[in-house]
Amino acid sequence: MTKRFLTADDVKRLGGSEIQVESGTIVTPQAAEVAAAAGIRLIGASGPYVPPIPDRGPDAARAQDVLPEPISTDGIGLVVTVVGRNRAGVLAEVTSALAQAECDVRDISQRTVGAHFHMVLTCAVGPGREFSSIKDALQCLGGEGDYVVRVMHEKVFRFMHRV
Amino acid sequence: MPFTDQEILETVRMFELETFDIRTTTLGINLLDCADPDLESSAEKVYAKIVHHGRNLVAVADSIEADFGVPIINKRVATTPIALVAAASGSEDLVPFARAMDAAAAEIGIDYIGGFTAYVHKGFTRADEALLNSIPAAMAETQRVCSSVSLATTKAGINMDAVAKFSEAVLKTAHLTASEGALGCAKLVCFSNPVEDNPFIAGAHIGIGEGETVLNVGVSGPGVVRSALKRLGEEESLLAVAETIKRTAFKITRMGELVGREAARRLGTVFGIVDVSLAPTPAVGDSVADILELIGVEVTGAPGTTAALALLTDAVKKGGAMASSSVGGLSGAFIPVSEDQGMIDAVACGALSLAKLEAMTTVCSVGLDMVAVPGDTSAAVISGIIADEMAIGMVNQKTTAVRLIPVPGKGPGETHDWGGLLGTAIVQDPGKFGCDVLWRRGGRIPAPLQSYRN
Repeated sequence: MTKRFLTADDVKRLGGSEIQVESGTIVTPQAAEVAAAAGIRLIGASGPYVPPIPDRGPDAARAQDVLPEPISTDGIGLVVTVVGRNRAGVLAEVTSALAQAECDVRDISQRTVGAHFHMVLTCAVGPGREFSSIKDALQCLGGEGDYVVRVMHEKVFRFMHRV
Repeated sequence: MPFTDQEILETVRMFELETFDIRTTTLGINLLDCADPDLESSAEKVYAKIVHHGRNLVAVADSIEADFGVPIINKRVATTPIALVAAASGSEDLVPFARAMDAAAAEIGIDYIGGFTAYVHKGFTRADEALLNSIPAAMAETQRVCSSVSLATTKAGINMDAVAKFSEAVLKTAHLTASEGALGCAKLVCFSNPVEDNPFIAGAHIGIGEGETVLNVGVSGPGVVRSALKRLGEEESLLAVAETIKRTAFKITRMGELVGREAARRLGTVFGIVDVSLAPTPAVGDSVADILELIGVEVTGAPGTTAALALLTDAVKKGGAMASSSVGGLSGAFIPVSEDQGMIDAVACGALSLAKLEAMTTVCSVGLDMVAVPGDTSAAVISGIIADEMAIGMVNQKTTAVRLIPVPGKGPGETHDWGGLLGTAIVQDPGKFGCDVLWRRGGRIPAPLQSYRN
């Protein structure tokens, strides 16, 4: 079994000019400090020691398990809700931002109540597009006293409303 | 099938108006391999392992928050009970472990870390005793470390010697942190039947049956339940109330399930459980007391409160159980008095006494939580309060906890404000009678008949 840790105490005890560290061993910060101060090099399997990737040990494979998810909702990637003061061009602004982000609007509904409106758009995201960048681009629209855009991942709705 | 406008707006309303959030993503880290005959080396390993596994916790939680638009309020770490890790060192002072945990928590950017813990429900090992003796200094010296002690289980009975020792630790912690209103005691809790996958601070730790690491999630949502009940109105029957709470709890728990799966995947660990507790905060509307009042009691603490809480806890569990295969932790409704504005108001108007709180704990998910008592309360009285609560847990085969805060220099009815999530406490009156003989007897209350289930 791999030694789990290399401590400052271990480094002092082992001494020498270099210490071979097994892959999977965690070198404590104190050990690294002592080694650096004493000029001892810490050597990994190939070249200088690099910290191992955190894993889950013997049942790490379980982390790969994929549990069944609620049924798909026809390629919808994100849900955009817009609320604010009504004026000409709001829908155009939102949809052109969506078009720039290569989002295909699958469903849209809008209501006006007095001077205000609310709008819900469900969209499919183009392949290779990052959710967070689309979200940032859309949420820049509008502003205080105008309208507010909220972008949410469709999974949120899928988990909450579909079994 | 696409979503309807109603479904979409319901979800948006939960996040925007009803203070819905994921209360905590808690990474459990097993520290058993950090045991070492040398105290310093062992503490060094504890630090290294927490940082090794926890380094990405905050970034992952933030990325999920950004991707799904679900607020994740707290990111925390729970560890193996330190008394088990420290045993090999033979040290009588275990504060170095607390320091290592505190430093590691600071390094990975989290506000609390749980696991300065011992299981003493049947007896003490040397390390358990050392841990209990180290609690006051550890709580006073560190900011982020939380401590929990198991004093009773249905299978083992109540270790009254441990109850006495824990009470002294509470008083000493209050004394050492007197300048901050005994803040140290807010990080210190005792349990009957502790759960080994509790993601909520201060009782968070992971049990010995867990793997190397595990990701547990605690959801929140009193505000969402409150709004749903408000919309239901006062005319509907209690069956309709239970149904409404159940449906709401289902939706809340589904979010916990989504975040838990995703966080575990991104961290390269496994998803453990969702704790479906309704966890209040001092924010207006985010209150369990408000829900009880909407169910139909005039003020929390009035007759009918325990029945309303029983309905609430059960409906939350039923909704949660349908929403996730992995419901765990405490799962129910928390009633942390100082952290719930409705509870604070109920205490202020004289409706909610310590006795009523104790009755409520028979049906809620935890116990006497964040209850302030006078700073001059004797160790015997504190032991008595704790023993009563432990007995409720022991006999009813449920988890109960006590987090008492003897506020120095304050008497019954006086107020202390810790600010932030811990909120404001009104000091409760434990009464003028004591239990000195019970306290002096010591020993163990044997396991009840309920434990013989084999």
